[in-house]
Amino acid sequence: MIYFHQVNKYYGDFHVLKDINLTIHQGEVVVIIGPSGSGKSTLVRCINRLETITSGELIVDNVKVNDKNIDINQLRRNIGMVFQHFNLYPHMTVLQNITLAPMKVLRIPEKEAKETAMYYLEKVGIPDKANAYPSELSGGQQQRVAIARGLAMKPKIMLFDEPTSALDPETIGEVLDVMKQLAKEGMTMVVVTHEMGFAREVADRIVFMDQGRILEEAPPEEFFSNPKEERAKVFLRRILNH
Amino acid sequence: MLRYSILFDHWDMYMQGFVNTLKASVLALIGSLIIGIIIAIFRIAPIRPLNWLGAAYVEFIRNIPLVLIVFVFFVGLPAVGIRFDPFTAGTLGLTVYTAAFIAEVIRSGILAVPKGQMEAARSSGLTYLQTMRYIILPQAIKMVIPPLGNQFINLVKNSSVLGVIAGLDLMYFGDLISSETFVTFDVYIFVALFYLVLTIPLSLGVGYLERRLAKSR
Repeated sequence: MIYFHQVNKYYGDFHVLKDINLTIHQGEVVVIIGPSGSGKSTLVRCINRLETITSGELIVDNVKVNDKNIDINQLRRNIGMVFQHFNLYPHMTVLQNITLAPMKVLRIPEKEAKETAMYYLEKVGIPDKANAYPSELSGGQQQRVAIARGLAMKPKIMLFDEPTSALDPETIGEVLDVMKQLAKEGMTMVVVTHEMGFAREVADRIVFMDQGRILEEAPPEEFFSNPKEERAKVFLRRILNH
Repeated sequence: MLRYSILFDHWDMYMQGFVNTLKASVLALIGSLIIGIIIAIFRIAPIRPLNWLGAAYVEFIRNIPLVLIVFVFFVGLPAVGIRFDPFTAGTLGLTVYTAAFIAEVIRSGILAVPKGQMEAARSSGLTYLQTMRYIILPQAIKMVIPPLGNQFINLVKNSSVLGVIAGLDLMYFGDLISSETFVTFDVYIFVALFYLVLTIPLSLGVGYLERRLAKSR
C-alpha cells in the first residue's frame, strides 16, 4: 500500500530523510517513534506529498507520489490526515468541516454528506456537537472532529501526525480510544506519536527513527522488551522511566 | 451663514452628482475587490510567472497618481481606438487603482491564515483554488476588514477624480454650480456634506462588521 525505496530528502543542506526503505501493507498499523527532529513527521507528510522527496521512490496506492503527471488530488482523497494542531476550519461548524471535502471533492449531495458526517460524529462520540464551532470544543473533541473529517472521505489510509501532542492529558485517552477502534476495524494507519502505551497495544509494527534514518523496525513486543539498537534502548529508557 | 438657497436652487444637480458618485463608488468597490483578490492570489500562488505579474501590477499601479491612471482610460486608450465616456473611464481608472491597494490588504490577510489550514484542506483533496475559496479567503477577509474599510473610504473620496474629466460626479457638479453662481465656499461645503453622507455610514458599517466578526471567532 505504501512503499518507500531509498528515499532521501533535503531541506537545503539539511539531510532530513536518509535512505528510507519502508513497506506498509493494507490493514497494517505502523507507529513511528523517535526523538524530535528525527524526521518522523516529514516521513509521514511525504506520503500525501505535503512534503516532496528529493530522491528515491515512493509509491502509495499504486501511484508514484512524486511523478509530475499524476493528479495529486486524486491520490489525496484516499488518504486522510490528522494533524497535531487539529487544523479544523474555524469559520465553519463541525458539520460543515466534515462535509466540505466530500461535497466539493467527491461531489456527494449535501444530504448524503450530512448523513455520513453524522455517522462518523457518532462513531467518535460527539454527535451533539454537530452545529458547534471548533472554538467551542475542547482539544480532545476538536481532534475527534478532525478524525471524523478524515474518515468522511472514506480513505484507504489514515495518517496521524502527533495527534495527541497538543492535548491536555485528560483528553488524550478519548482520542486514542477512537484510534484504537479504527485500528481494530482494519484501517491502514501510519501514526507518529509519543504515546508508548498506544504503540504497544495497537501497532503491528514499530518504526524507530533517529537523525533521519530508520534505525529499527520490529513488532511492538519485540521492540519494547528487546530493542536491538543502542539508540533505541537509550530512547526507551528515557521515555519510559520518568 | 451658509447660503442654503445654493443647495435648494441646484438640488437636481447635487443629486445627479451624488447618485453618480455613489454609482462609481459601488461599481469600483465591487470591481476592485474582485481584481484585488485575483491579484493577491497571483502574488502568493506557487507559480512564479503569476507572482511576477501580480507584483508588477501592484508596484506599477500604486506608484502612479490616480489622475494619470484615469487619463490612461480617458485619453490614452482612445488613441488606440478604445473609447469610453468620462464616467466609465473614471470608474475604470478608480477600480484599477484601488485594486492595487486592496490586493496588498488581502495578501496580508491570506498570509495571516495559519499554514495548517492550507495543509488540512489540500490533504483532503481540495484543489488550490477550492482551498482559497472555501477556507483561506473567508478567514483572510475577516481579518482584514478594518484596513479594507479604509480602502473603501479612500475609494469614495478618490472618486472625486471623475470631476477632472467631466465624469458627472459630485465634484464635477460642484465645479459647475460654482462657475454658474460665482460662489465657492458654500457650494463646496455642500459637496463635502454629500461625501460625508456616503463615507460616515461606510465607516460605521465597517466598525459594526469588525465588532460582529470579532465575536464570531
